[in-house]
Formats: sequence, structure tokens, C-alpha cells
Amino acid sequence: MNLFTLQRKETFRAPQWEAKMSIKVVMVLITLYFLVAFVLGASFIYPGLNKAVLTKEPVEVFNSVLLYFFFFELVLRFFLQQLPVTNIQNLILLPIKKSKIINHVLFRSAFSGFNLFPFIIYLPFAVSMYRDDYMAVQVLAWWSALLLVTLSINFLIYILNKDNRVFFVLLGLMALVVFLESLAFFDTGAHLGKAFDLVVENPSVFGFFFFPAIASYAAGYYFLKRGFYIDAGLKQKKGKVRGGEFAFLNVFGENALFLKNDLRMIIRNVRPRQIVIMSFLFLFYGLVFFPQEIYRNQPYILAFAGLFVTGGFTLTFGNYVPAWDSSYYKLLMTQNLSYKKYLLSKWNLMAFVTVFCALLSTPYVYFGGDILAIILAGALFNIGLGTWITLFGGLLNKSPMKLNVKAKAFENTQAFSLNQFLLTIPKMVLPMLLYGLPAQFISPTAGIISLAGSGVLGLLFRNKMADNITRLYINQKHETIEAFNQ
Amino acid sequence: MIKVNNLTKIYADNTALSLPTLSISKGEHFGLVGNNGAGKTTFFSLLLDLIQATSGQVTINGIEVAKSEVWKNQTAAFIDDNFLIDYLTPEEYFQFVAQLRKVDQKTATDFLSQFEEFFNGEVLNQKKYIRDFSKGNQKKIGLAAAFIGQPELIVLDEPFANLDPSSQIRLKTFLSSDETKSTTLLVSSHDLNHVTEVCDRIVLLEKGKAVKDIPKTAKTLKELEAYFSGQ
Repeated sequence: MNLFTLQRKETFRAPQWEAKMSIKVVMVLITLYFLVAFVLGASFIYPGLNKAVLTKEPVEVFNSVLLYFFFFELVLRFFLQQLPVTNIQNLILLPIKKSKIINHVLFRSAFSGFNLFPFIIYLPFAVSMYRDDYMAVQVLAWWSALLLVTLSINFLIYILNKDNRVFFVLLGLMALVVFLESLAFFDTGAHLGKAFDLVVENPSVFGFFFFPAIASYAAGYYFLKRGFYIDAGLKQKKGKVRGGEFAFLNVFGENALFLKNDLRMIIRNVRPRQIVIMSFLFLFYGLVFFPQEIYRNQPYILAFAGLFVTGGFTLTFGNYVPAWDSSYYKLLMTQNLSYKKYLLSKWNLMAFVTVFCALLSTPYVYFGGDILAIILAGALFNIGLGTWITLFGGLLNKSPMKLNVKAKAFENTQAFSLNQFLLTIPKMVLPMLLYGLPAQFISPTAGIISLAGSGVLGLLFRNKMADNITRLYINQKHETIEAFNQ
Repeated sequence: MIKVNNLTKIYADNTALSLPTLSISKGEHFGLVGNNGAGKTTFFSLLLDLIQATSGQVTINGIEVAKSEVWKNQTAAFIDDNFLIDYLTPEEYFQFVAQLRKVDQKTATDFLSQFEEFFNGEVLNQKKYIRDFSKGNQKKIGLAAAFIGQPELIVLDEPFANLDPSSQIRLKTFLSSDETKSTTLLVSSHDLNHVTEVCDRIVLLEKGKAVKDIPKTAKTLKELEAYFSGQ
């Protein structure tokens, strides 16, 4: 009886592994691309700091901001990391020692994708240190200390995730740290940085970092052991009822019914919440491109960035229509409801959020009125056409969605298909051309008119679009029900 | 009200259902019994157009279910968990269903008050999501919702499973009451006792075929028991 065999089977028999070979290859390539991109990005930190800060060693500078890396990691993990405790229920009655199960769970959590952090961020930095003039032992000690901190955070998450109070205490502590620093009263980050400076100076100091790692492992162990009952730690958290009547939505008349339901779905389930939070991060996507002079004369890139600023929600939410409703799709299919109204309510939600994002994106005017114009024209395209294209794409995505389970890193691959990949052409490439071609050959204004005009056309023919997409959804009804039933 | 014509559903080489003809009249309480895999849920799914028939048709009030969606106006069903929206509270779920069936909020609330005893004080005003209720209470929520708006046709798959004894009895009483007298009721069950009490006609399925189609009499239960015990 080996828990690792079970683990292996669980992983390799998961639905995403049953995908076609070609898709797997594409996914592996995409994953590799991101890993390489991160590693390359991270390897520029050291030389960058070396040039930017002349008075201090790059390592010292890096160490002094480590605290914020840790904070970021904690928050990210709190929202995104799903702990494998629910699988314990199946084992609880089998003749396996509790301690063995708990150790297994903790050990296995060390292999979470989130623990790649030290490898993709710290390791490239460490390599740069070594290539500068640090000794191997110094570099190794420094990196090991960081690895131990990451592991400490990893085990700590067990407690944070189950008890909101602990999280708020921690949030309070973070706020306090930032507050004290802003008053120049006590700079926690700098003090913590000194500890890591010390490791570089005297590598044997790294041994001290075993203490937090062991302590958090022990805490996690104790916590799991205490909660090793199906009505305690192994139980899924029960939520208090959030969000109420949304009476203000009644102005939408009959559409309000589905709109309310979608809002409740987003507010009350982990997975849609995750996706909505992610989609708001897209608002900042423009900051990557717009400040850089070199992109100023590249209309295609500008359009690409501009589309993402307001399109995050449409892209991420629309992609999972109707999968969002997969767990009660049979109910919807036997009720007296019009498919068109159902789709239009999804459209309304996407359009509304896109308009909202467009309002939030007005500060981009800082980079020039032309930039804001691109963003707004992009928003029009996203509302008029992007919405329908993603709704069409969503139909191709026939994986049932577990609403209240957090996504594992890269789990979205499950919903990935070649068709969807091809759909990025109308979703992204088309608008890039719509803006780019006229902007390159006529004038930027012509590009804006062309991009915005396509969106307006989409809006004018909204009813026609809705009818066509509805027909497709109805044609696929039985296939979709069957797929969602798995 | 329901007419079945040469209906078959074949998966690979396995015939899940084959019903040459069957008709169910308005107001009939129709019971479906059979062992696992006999085709009960397959029949209900075909009736509700949740799966595609290999051949043949089902019509409800003369409307072929696979061709038009008008039958949904007068039909309600509770087949499995996939009929519950688990992140809603029971009240929100009832209102959602009521609105789809064009029943206003007040009427729905009044209608549901007759389920008070059935709910046993554990369903309404609990301030929790359906997913946090026990299996038994989830079932009660789904069953009650099926009756909102008094649809002409109600399809219930295994309504008694997962219910505690008191609730089973209360459900039986409700299904035999005046409230549901004019409703066409389709019920499947593994419990021969319950199904013979509630229904006035029983069809026994075996390996996709209707092997018995009998009106309920005093001897029905004995006859079914004899069949299933292999005598």
C-alpha cells in the first residue's frame, strides 16, 4: 500500500491527461515558454540592480525587498493554492497510520507549482551572483535560505487557509509593517534583508532558516492532526451567505433573473472569483507596453495591449460560458427559458464589465490621448464582437466546471482545445489588423475609426449575432449535456 | 398526454431502451420500476430531451420533445443533483424556478408553505447555500421546486431515495393528495411499496424493455415482489 502510487494514478488519470496528444504537446510547450520567460526575466534583475544602484551590492538591494516578495507569495497562495486535504477522506478508514497520511500530505504539498518560485526567481539571481564574484558556498547558502522560507510559507498556508482569523491577523501585520516603514519608524524589510546579507557573509548562518521551516511543518502537522475528523479540518469550509437580492438589477427586467444568478455565482464560488480577480489584473497590462517608446510606432502591439486592458473579463469569463452553469445545466435545459435570453444576459454582464473597465482605464490618458483612444476603440470591439466570439469559443469548451474548487496551477489546460486556440485569431489577431493596417498605411486615426467601427457594427447587429450563436448552442445541446454530466 | 412511438436508445451494442409504444394519459400517476440499468433514467432523459433517441419519438401533448421546446411550459422534473443550483439558498432557488415558470414571488411563497411539515423546519430560513445542506434536505428542495407553478407534468426519478422515514411518508401523502390529483406524475423507484402506493399504473422495465404494464390493484405489490424475487 503506497500513497505515492495512489497519487500517481490520481494525477495521470485526471481528465486533462486524457486530452489528445497534440494538445498535450502544445500545453507543454506553452508551459515551457512561460517558465523560460520567467527565468529570463529574473536573470535580468541582478545586472539591472548592478547598474541602477551604485552605492550598494545588488544582493543587498534584493534582500531588502524580499519581505515584499514573501507578502506577495502569501497573498497569491492564499487565493490560489488548493490544499489536497479533501482527498484524505477516502483514506481515513483504511488501516494507515494518521501520522503517515499527514506526513504524506505535507510532503506532497512541497511539490506544489507554487514552490517553483525559488527556482524561477531566486535561482537565476543566484546564478548571476555566482557569475559575479561570490563563492559557490555563499550563493548556495543564500538560495537554500530562500528555499526554506518558501517551504515555511507553503506549510503555513494550511493554517491560513482553514482559519480566516489567522489570515486577517497576518494581513494586519503586513499593514503594520508597511505603516511603520512609511513613518520611517521601523523598517522591517531592511532588517529582514540584513539577515539574508548575513547569510551571504557567513554561509553557516543559513542553518537558522531551518527553524521556521521545521516550526511551520510542525504547526501544519499539529493542525492537520487536530482536525483529522470529517466534521473538523477535513470538512470543506461552509460559507456564510454572501450577496443578497441585487434589487437594483430589476431595471433589466427579465434579464435580471440570470444577471443576479451570475453575480451570485461569481461572489459565492472560489473559481469564478479567482477568474474575476485575474481579469482585473489585465487592466494593468497596458503598463507593460505603453510607457516604452519603442512600441510607440508599432500599431499592432499597441492594439494588442489596448484590447487586453478592457478585455480581461470578456476573455476569461466568456470562455467558460456555458461551463459556469455545467453543474445545473440539466435544470436549465428542462426549464421554460429562452436560450437567447440566457445568452444575452451573459452578454450584458460582459458588456457591463467592459464598460466599467473602460472607465477605470481613463488614467491611461497620461500616456497620451491616442493611447486612450486605442483602449476605448478596443473596448468597443470587445463589446460588439469580442463578446460573441468568446461565447462561441465557450461552447467548444466542454469540460464541466467545479465551481467551488480552486484551480491548480495550469489546470486551465483542461479546457484547452485546438479549436479554442484557433479562435484567438478572430479574438486577438483580427482586431490587431483592424487597427494596425489602417494605422500603418493611412493614419492612426483611421485605425481607431476602423477598430471602433467594427465594434459599433457588432452592436448594431447584436440581435442577429445573438440569434446565430443561440442556434449553435441549441444544436450542441445534447453533446453539451453529456459532456457536463461526466 | 405522453405518447411514445418506437423509441430506442442504443449505446454501442447495448440497447438501453426499446419501447415500441406507450401512452400515458393526463392525470395518470405512472410508476416505473426495474433493477439498476433497466432503463428508467434513460426513459426520463429521453422524455425531457436530455439525450437524443437512436430512433422513434416522444410527444408531450402532441409536441415532439426533440423538435420543439413548447413542452417545457408545462413540465417540471427532478432527476438528480444537476437540477439544483448549489450556490443559491433554498429561497433564492425557489424564486429562480418560480420566475422561470412566471409565478410571482408571493404566490410561490404561499405555495411553498404547504411543504412546511415536509421540510421539517430544516430548509427555509437557514441562511445557507444548498451545497451545505444534507443529501436528504437537498432532495426535499429539488422535489418541492418541481411542484412550483403546478406544472401539468412532473417527472421524479427516485424521489424516495435519501429521504428519512418521516419525509418518505409525508411525500407519499402529498403525492396522493388532491393537490396532485390532476397532475400527470411520472415516478421511478426501487421501493416497490412506495411506488405502488402512489401510482395507479406500474410499468416494469427490464434490460430496456417493458415486461409488465399493469394497473394498480390490491395484488400489484405481491406480483411485483414475486417478479423481483425470481419466483
